[in-house]
Amino acid sequence: MKPISRPRSHSLLVRLVRMSLGLTVALPFAATLLAGHVAHAAKTKDEMVKMLKEVDVRQNSQGDWHSHIYMEQKEKDKVDVVYEGDVYRRSEDQKFVIVFTKPKASQGQGYLRIDQNLWFYDPAVGKWERRTERERIGGTNSRRSDFDESRLAIEYDPTDDGETKLGAYTAQAMTLKGKPGQDLAFPVVKIWVDKDTLNVLKRQEFALSGRLLRTSYYPKWKKAYSESKKADTWFPEEIRFYDEVEKANSTLILIKEVDFKPLPQNLFTKAWLESKSR
Amino acid sequence: MATFGTNLQIAARSLFQHRRRALFLGGAIGAVTALLVLLNGLSTGVHETMEHTATTLSSGHVNVGGFFKVSAGQSAPVVTDYLKVLDVVKRSVPEMDFSVQRGRGWAKLVSDSGSMQAGVSGIDIKDEPEFKSVLTIMSGNIEDLSQPGTILLFEDQLKKLEVKVGDAITVSAQTTRGVANTVDCRVVAIARDAGLMSKWNVFVPMETLRALYQLSPNTTGAIQIHLKPRDQPNATQIAGRLRTTLEQAGYRMMDADPRAFWMKFDTVNREQWTGQKLDVTTWEDELSFLTWTLNLLNVLKVLLLLILIAIVVTGIMNTMWIAIRERTREIGTLRAIGMQRRGILWMFLFESLLLGLGSATGGAIAGSLIAAALNGAHIAVPVSMQLFLMSDHLHLAVHPGAVVQAAVMLTLLTGLAALYPSFRAARLRPIEAMSHFG
Repeated sequence: MKPISRPRSHSLLVRLVRMSLGLTVALPFAATLLAGHVAHAAKTKDEMVKMLKEVDVRQNSQGDWHSHIYMEQKEKDKVDVVYEGDVYRRSEDQKFVIVFTKPKASQGQGYLRIDQNLWFYDPAVGKWERRTERERIGGTNSRRSDFDESRLAIEYDPTDDGETKLGAYTAQAMTLKGKPGQDLAFPVVKIWVDKDTLNVLKRQEFALSGRLLRTSYYPKWKKAYSESKKADTWFPEEIRFYDEVEKANSTLILIKEVDFKPLPQNLFTKAWLESKSR
Repeated sequence: MATFGTNLQIAARSLFQHRRRALFLGGAIGAVTALLVLLNGLSTGVHETMEHTATTLSSGHVNVGGFFKVSAGQSAPVVTDYLKVLDVVKRSVPEMDFSVQRGRGWAKLVSDSGSMQAGVSGIDIKDEPEFKSVLTIMSGNIEDLSQPGTILLFEDQLKKLEVKVGDAITVSAQTTRGVANTVDCRVVAIARDAGLMSKWNVFVPMETLRALYQLSPNTTGAIQIHLKPRDQPNATQIAGRLRTTLEQAGYRMMDADPRAFWMKFDTVNREQWTGQKLDVTTWEDELSFLTWTLNLLNVLKVLLLLILIAIVVTGIMNTMWIAIRERTREIGTLRAIGMQRRGILWMFLFESLLLGLGSATGGAIAGSLIAAALNGAHIAVPVSMQLFLMSDHLHLAVHPGAVVQAAVMLTLLTGLAALYPSFRAARLRPIEAMSHFG
């Protein structure tokens, strides 16, 4: 997959704007370090599971989904990598497609998830390759699950870590441990859920060894009405992933133009993805 | 016998009489022989270095590896319950000198300053004394690799990781079940580069590799079988036999595929099977991505030699034609005093064979001496060449058998080139030959 490269040099003005934007995002979370735990009664496991289910339900459209995505990967000593593409998914049978539209070199490349298998297609070689569910999408620090429906309650058992202040928000922190038999990239996850909206604000993923691998921030949430769900569906407009092993690496995901209109039946097929590059 | 001796004597005298021409032609034959010896030495040297490095760093002469698939799309290069497999190997490969087991993996190495993807080999250093002898340790102590949570790197990898002995590196990978995992390793030794293999290979204790991939103690990456020296050229046949034996023992085998194990992930992941399948490969299969350089070198060698031999053969034939023309009256006289046609034929053939033998022997000796001098000079090769030669200096392997072969080949070629002109000389009629002016 050949990413487009962007020059590193920016004017002073652009740098100042970027710096201030970065601080806007980072400061509320940095404040977390200063904030202590908020006193509260410990929740039972059932209460935690109920809350986790609610987090899932709020995000799931229970039907078809289409969104436009923008991905930007920053790595130390490398040029920035930028992709644009579309995500299609169907709740009913957990089918999933990502197709890249930009840069030109990656146009038509895509991932297709059918029958619990993730496939990658590269039109340059006209070949399908089976990939694992933990595949780094486009070589960035994002995974397929980051673009898919939330399945936290199905995949993990939660434990209460108490309430904590996350910037201006009061968040319920919880540690999630993978259920046996689940196909998970990260066996242990910590999430911070906004107590008022039940939107995930922060997420940390750990290796089996206990080492922190990735921290994600969800600074912007948006809702849209889903006809199939007959209710609002919440989705993060922006996700920021920070690599905790290679500290200099980060990924920005922007999710735009979400709609829940029914998708064509033939969309989740290899033939459809192949046709996108013709 | 007396005739044979006379013909030989006449041939030798004739060569001496025309020594300027003989020296010129003999010099060309000698140069080609020396070149043949040197080119053979180079390709044999590369082959031997490649085999020695490969069979120490990453492969046995024959390997029993394989893949275990938890699901159709997720494979891990492991052999489960390897002790039982080893029992079958021991029973069916009497040519085995010794065997070792190595872990196989692919992981990201992350230091404070950089990162890189690398093949991670698990090794029980105490069981592999040969491994220590093939590597040149630039700093640290290779014996410390017996401690868990340690790692051996190669010099070239320092450019990316910027670490020294004692520094920590995080090794990050997914377990065989696809779960993210890490281990922290302390750099205990830095070895001198050993060609392309050391570009992306690092070594950790087997125990550490098992912790990273969550492998049980009876699981390994591959059983590497080292054959007795006399059986090493038969690795392909032994691998074929072992494949059949393992199949008969009830193991599911992968189709024979002469590629390195890491080149098979795509193929394996496309297939629908799950569970364990074994794979038997030779060291040449595991190095198939490198042996093309050797094949290319051999093709170039053959092409170059064909051109040189064509030039030499044309030269010999021309010289013989000139000699016959110059000596037509001599041929007529010899025939007139009773020499048979066969005698004339042998006389000219002996002349060229003597010339060929002398100059090819001289050339072969010169080639061997030049090769010895080059080896003694320890000539460093450019970094780009080191990748393919798998050595940081030029090594020419000149074996006596190959030297004799080169000398015999060039001598016979010289004889063959002279056959037709000699035959024509023998067919000259004495009366016509004696009256020839020119």
